[in-house]
Amino acid sequence: MSANHTRVESTTSLTGPQGALAPQTSLDAQSELLSIGEARQWLLSLLLGGAIWELAGRALRFSFLPPISSVLIAAADLIASGQIAGHLLASLGSLAIGYGLAVVGGLTLGLLVGRYRWAEVALAPYINALLSTPKLVLVPILYSLLGLGRGVQVAVIFLNAFFIITVNTAAGIRSVEASYIEMARVFGAGEGQLFRKVLLPGALPLTMAGLRLGIGSAVKGMITGEMLVTVSGLGALLRKYGSRFDSAQLFAVLLVVVGVALLCTLFVQAIERRVTAWSEFGS
Amino acid sequence: MIELLGCRKTYPGQAGRPPTLALDSVDLTIRASEFVCVLGPSGCGKTTLLKIVAGLLPVDQGEVRIDGRLVTGTGPDRAFVFQNFALLPWADVVTNIAFGLELRGTAKSEREQRAHALIEAVGLEGFERHYPRQLSGGMQQRVGLARALAVDPQILLMDEPFGSVDAQTRRLLQTDLLALLDRSPKTVLFVTHSVAEAVRLSDRVVLMTPRPGRVHAIVEVGLPRPRPDNLDHFPRYSELKEYLWQQLRDMQQ
Repeated sequence: MSANHTRVESTTSLTGPQGALAPQTSLDAQSELLSIGEARQWLLSLLLGGAIWELAGRALRFSFLPPISSVLIAAADLIASGQIAGHLLASLGSLAIGYGLAVVGGLTLGLLVGRYRWAEVALAPYINALLSTPKLVLVPILYSLLGLGRGVQVAVIFLNAFFIITVNTAAGIRSVEASYIEMARVFGAGEGQLFRKVLLPGALPLTMAGLRLGIGSAVKGMITGEMLVTVSGLGALLRKYGSRFDSAQLFAVLLVVVGVALLCTLFVQAIERRVTAWSEFGS
Repeated sequence: MIELLGCRKTYPGQAGRPPTLALDSVDLTIRASEFVCVLGPSGCGKTTLLKIVAGLLPVDQGEVRIDGRLVTGTGPDRAFVFQNFALLPWADVVTNIAFGLELRGTAKSEREQRAHALIEAVGLEGFERHYPRQLSGGMQQRVGLARALAVDPQILLMDEPFGSVDAQTRRLLQTDLLALLDRSPKTVLFVTHSVAEAVRLSDRVVLMTPRPGRVHAIVEVGLPRPRPDNLDHFPRYSELKEYLWQQLRDMQQ
């Protein structure tokens, strides 16, 4: 393991190339809050986008592109009628369970694989294979294992997040400078102390990045899974309105989905920022 | 007292390359409270030697004894100062200094007390809550030194500790190190590339051959302690430096 490790491994595989950049999810300066001037630009950009959408919607009259005003009205209706509340709760419920399990499982396996070479070598083929497989492909297998019902939905969310979290946690452990480990050893650290006082804190930046990527992936899994599999949840709503060509409602639900995705990611990001302020990967 | 008897260390070859003999039968005795510098060309096994004494690496042949006891691993009697500081970036200065004590289970109040005392001793007052990235190289190494002293070791193992700082800072750190040792003597094994540093700091200089490392010569420094400010003017200082340079040049032929 290189002691000159200032950049981290990519998240595309378990043993990615050394020297790749830190994992990215978004275009903007994700590690920095916007300044006042920048916040104004951001808002302006949104308003401009909204205006273009409205004009395009009215002018072009494509049935699949309702103007934003219709979408907002449909959204207001859905929220007021309480229709969306039930589906939203169902979605979020599955998300919480699926993601929660993925965090527990992913952190555990990631720590193991990151620390112990034998574990890495033994499990790498499976983790890499499943990481790149679209999880929906596994739905038939999940059905036969879990039967009809919410279980399959939770499993899809779990699988979407689990491997990403594992790979990034493992990378995090491996990114801890060899000299810190040596230093801890020479001052008498046992394996447990090494884990708690050196490896875990050191692994935090990449691990948090994995959690952030994982929630994004989990939300995607939630929606796509629901579109295929369930009768309740936001994805199911999308399927319903999609099949009826109810474009205003469709977009309204889409906005809610985007909102959920953003809020979840921002939440994890806020924790990430707090906890990794000391590292060059954190803010 | 540190005794190395017939110590031999081979690093296994990686990726099909043949194994490397790093140390080839090293015999060395270091007296209590003595300051010994290990000087030699790159790759001569100086750091390996240090890590063996620290108990971080096992010897393949021979033995290392401290006060007669065989060294089988790390221990509270030895502390290490690293060339690249090895400070934990997520911890502040006080926490870093107290790290060795924390690993031993020392109570928090006692740890902090000791750390504060050492912060004064190494001249870092006012920087208690700073993080390593906010400190210069010289300051970081002061933290490293304080951390090593915090566990009150009998033996201080220093691996080119001033190699990563500029020349001026280096000189200041050398002076401060000697002052600290004057107050509280320890046995020191100090690895360096610098001839001047070796003569300035040590009681004896151990010259090592290029790989595989063996003891080529041991030179008594015999300059006054505490080191005077005008050390550079002592004829013996220049003579020793010249001699050591000559030896190093001859070895590299």
